[in-house]
Amino acid sequence: MATPSAVVTDVAVDDNGISFAADVDQPVDLFFDDQRIGSFWTVRDTTASTATLGARGRRTWAWPRSLRPHLDGTTELRLVVHATGEQVCAQRVTLGDGQGEISVVDARGNPLSLDKSQRLVRLFASRSIEQLTPLLDSMSSVIAALQEGGVEPFVAYGTLLGAVREKTFIGHDSDADLGYVSRRDHPADVMIESFALQRRLTEQGFLVTRYSGAAFKVIVTEPDGTLRGLDVFAGFLRDGELYLMGEVGTPYRSEWVFPLTEVELAGRTFPAPAVPERLLEAMYGPHWRVPDPAFKFETPIGVTRRLNGWFRGTRHRRESTWDPYWGQARALTKTTPSAFIRWVHRSEPKGTAVVDVGCGYGSDVLFVARRGRRAYGLDYVPRSYAPMAGRAEKMGFPATFLPTNLTELRSTYAATAELRSLRGPKVMTARHLLDSTSTLGRRNLLRMARTVLADGGRLYVQALVAPDPAGDPPGLRPVDIDAFVAEAERYGARVVLRREGRVDDVKLSPDNLSTRPGAPARNPDDPEADPSSAAITDGPGPETVQPAHLCRLVLQWN
Amino acid sequence: MELNPRRLISSPQRLRERLDAMEAEIQECRQLNLRVAELADAVAELLVPLADSDDPRVAEIIERYRLGVSTEGPRPVKPTPPSETA
Repeated sequence: MATPSAVVTDVAVDDNGISFAADVDQPVDLFFDDQRIGSFWTVRDTTASTATLGARGRRTWAWPRSLRPHLDGTTELRLVVHATGEQVCAQRVTLGDGQGEISVVDARGNPLSLDKSQRLVRLFASRSIEQLTPLLDSMSSVIAALQEGGVEPFVAYGTLLGAVREKTFIGHDSDADLGYVSRRDHPADVMIESFALQRRLTEQGFLVTRYSGAAFKVIVTEPDGTLRGLDVFAGFLRDGELYLMGEVGTPYRSEWVFPLTEVELAGRTFPAPAVPERLLEAMYGPHWRVPDPAFKFETPIGVTRRLNGWFRGTRHRRESTWDPYWGQARALTKTTPSAFIRWVHRSEPKGTAVVDVGCGYGSDVLFVARRGRRAYGLDYVPRSYAPMAGRAEKMGFPATFLPTNLTELRSTYAATAELRSLRGPKVMTARHLLDSTSTLGRRNLLRMARTVLADGGRLYVQALVAPDPAGDPPGLRPVDIDAFVAEAERYGARVVLRREGRVDDVKLSPDNLSTRPGAPARNPDDPEADPSSAAITDGPGPETVQPAHLCRLVLQWN
Repeated sequence: MELNPRRLISSPQRLRERLDAMEAEIQECRQLNLRVAELADAVAELLVPLADSDDPRVAEIIERYRLGVSTEGPRPVKPTPPSETA
C-alpha cells in the first residue's frame, strides 16, 4: 500500500483549484467540513502544474464549473484517499471574497455533491430510505409499464452495481437506471419500440424526456421537491454482440440476459439480468467490485461510434451548453424584448400571429402577445421559457409555448401539425437559432416553415455570421448564411430581404430599406448589442443599429 | 474506383483519406436508422389515425397520394348517377 507521502502532499488551494504533489494515480474524496463534495483521480483528472516541486510531479485539479459559484467564503477542506480512508490534507481555506462559510446546497438547503459528470446534484448518500420511497415506487411502476409494453426491464448500470455490491443505492450516485434487451435486433426497430414505451409512460402520467433514440429519462419528484431521474436504456442482441445504450457493446450470450433473475435493492426486490456479473463486467470492466467514486467509462471508440450513429444526435449542445446555461438563476431573469422582435413587430400589420422558434426566455413572445398578437414560443429546453409562460398565463396574454426539438423529426412534425391549423396571417421568427442548432435543426426549421407558411407569411431570421468581436455569446457559432440560403431555396423559399453588416434596423423592412453606420454598446449575453431594449414601447421605438457580425433574412414561400 | 492495394500501401496519405471518407459514409448510413424510426413512428401514430376520418378532404388527399404512388392498372371508377335513358 502507498505511504501517505506517496499519495498527495504539499496541498495548496486557491480560486483556480487544488494543487499538490502526487505520483500515484488513485481516487481521493474532497470534503468541505463534513460534507463530501466530490472525488477525483490524482493524475487522470488533473493537469500538470507549470510549477514543479523537486522531482515529483505537481498536479492541479481545477474547480469544476458547476462548483465555482459556491466557492466564496471559508471552509475546512479535507482530502481523503477513497480506498483506505486515510486523510492526506486538512486545512482551513478562504476562497472568493472570503465572506462567511462556503455552502454547497440547493435552494432548499439540501447538500449537493459532484456526480461523475461534474454536475452538482443531490446524491443518494444524503438521502434516507424514507426519502427514496417515491423513487423506489416509481421504479416499480415504470418496470410494470415497460413489461406491459412488451419488454423485460431490469436494474442496470449504477443501480445494478449497488444492488449486487451493497444491496442498496451507491452513495455517490444520483440517478436510478433501468435497462432492457429488446427482442428486436435492428436499431431502427429498437427505437420504434422505445418511442412506443415512452408514449405508454406519458399516457400513464409520467414526465418523460428523451435523450436519444434508445434512451429516455422519467422524472420523479421527491417529497422535498428534489427531482430524481430514472433512466431507461434500450439494448439489443445482434450477431452475438450486445449493444446497450449508452456505453455497452461487447460479445454476449442471450442466456446471460434471459430469463431474468432478481436482486435486492434498498429492502425491495427488482428484476436483474440472468447473470448480473456479466453485465457489470461489460459496463464497468473486470474491477467492478472495487468502489470508485470518480469512475469514468472507457467505452471503446468503435462502440461509441455505433451508438452515436444509430441513436444519438437529438440533443445538440443541450448538455454542453443549454442545460448549464438555463440552470443559472440569472439566465431566467431577462424580461426585455430584443431589437429583432421590435423590428418584426413594426414590419408586420396588426393581427399577424408570431411563431418564435427557439424562443429561449420567451421575452419576445411576451412582447408581441401583450400587444395583442397571437404568439407561440417553441424551444427544446422548456425551463427556459417557463417563467414567461407563467407570466403570460397570469396576465391573460395570448401566448402559447410548445416544447419542440428541431433535431427530432417527430417533434418537428408534431409542432408543424399544430401550427398548420393556426388560421389567419402569421409569421415565424428564428432569432439566433441557425447559429445554435445543427444542420438537421436548420433543415427541420425549413421543413416546418414551408408547411406552416405555405398559405402566406414570412420567416424572419437573425444569425451570427462572423465571430462577435466581444466573443461569441454562449452556445452560438457563426453560421454559413450562403449555405443556409441555398438550402432554403431548395426548400422552395425565396429571399425577400437579406442584410448583413452595420445597417439601421428601424426602417429595415422589405418595403423600406435604409442604411446608417453606427457603433452599438454591448450586453455580454445579448448578441444584438441593443442598448435601448430595456424600454418596452409601441410604435417605431428608439433607433438601433445592427452590428457587423449579424445577418438578417426574410424568407417567403409564396 | 481505385482498389489496387499495392498503390494504396505505397500512398499512406491517400489510404488515410479514403479511410476517413469511408468512416464518414458508414456513420451517414447508421444515422438513417433514427430517421427511419422517426418516420415510421410518425406514419403509424400520427398519419394513420388522422386518415381514419370521414372528412372528404382526407379521402381526396389519400386518393391523390395513392395515384401519385402508382397509376398502373385500372383507374378506380367513380360511381355515376343513374342515367334517365338507361
